Amino acid sequence: MNPQMIFFLVLAVLAIACAVLVLQLKRISHRVVSMAFCFFAIAGLYFLLGAEFIGIIQIIVYAGAVTILFIFGMMMTEHRNITFSAHPRKLHRVLSFVGVGTLLGFMLYGILNMDLPQNGSPRVYEEGTAHEIGLVLYGHYVIAVIGMAFLLTAALIGAIVIARKEAK
Amino acid sequence: MVPITLYLSLAAILFCVGLYGVLTRRHLVIVLASVELMLNAVNINLVAFSSIGPYADITGQVFTLFIISVAAAEVAVGLAILIALYRNRESIDVIKHDLLRW
Repeated sequence: MNPQMIFFLVLAVLAIACAVLVLQLKRISHRVVSMAFCFFAIAGLYFLLGAEFIGIIQIIVYAGAVTILFIFGMMMTEHRNITFSAHPRKLHRVLSFVGVGTLLGFMLYGILNMDLPQNGSPRVYEEGTAHEIGLVLYGHYVIAVIGMAFLLTAALIGAIVIARKEAK
Repeated sequence: MVPITLYLSLAAILFCVGLYGVLTRRHLVIVLASVELMLNAVNINLVAFSSIGPYADITGQVFTLFIISVAAAEVAVGLAILIALYRNRESIDVIKHDLLRW
């Protein structure tokens, strides 16, 4: 039981518990906060894997920006006394649970029977992962980066156009 | 050292929690949050695979960056659609938005 294993177990339990709480908590604002904690736990897992740049990006983008967006989306809609009309969806829920459980069982069976290199030690980059990622990102994947820039611009403009109040 | 199978199992569990949320919850914000959980599970897989092996490669982390940007764009557009839907139909119940259903 080395310290890395202890950190991994704490972060994994935190991530799974927060993910379940996102689905189970009563108030919608508590669910969004629980989602933010789940993102923080996943960022900790990235640090544990030796990917510090991805971990920082996760904190900035997910735990920061996406959570704020979710809070705004929650506050722009009704969030206090939300009452969903009664609907007989017991069968749907049970079927979903059985289907997802079967999928999880198959995935865990496949993962545990996979033949993987057992060294398990993360590779250490001497100059930091940001250096390596920058070299690959602006070398081999530069066209994908430009496409991503276009996608983000289109998403920005599209979000403004969709959410704008239309003139009567 | 943490074995890689534990990371993959954690990602599988997170993915299934997100999938169950997408299939069963009726609040649109929670459905979007579940989609985000699924994307995060995929990111854990990519980073875990990029960090092991004798020829560990940084490509997995680069792909994680791409997935994070696509997810950010998706959340922005999704929440804009949510606000527009709420303004027009006064509801964020997934069941009530079945105009395009056949």
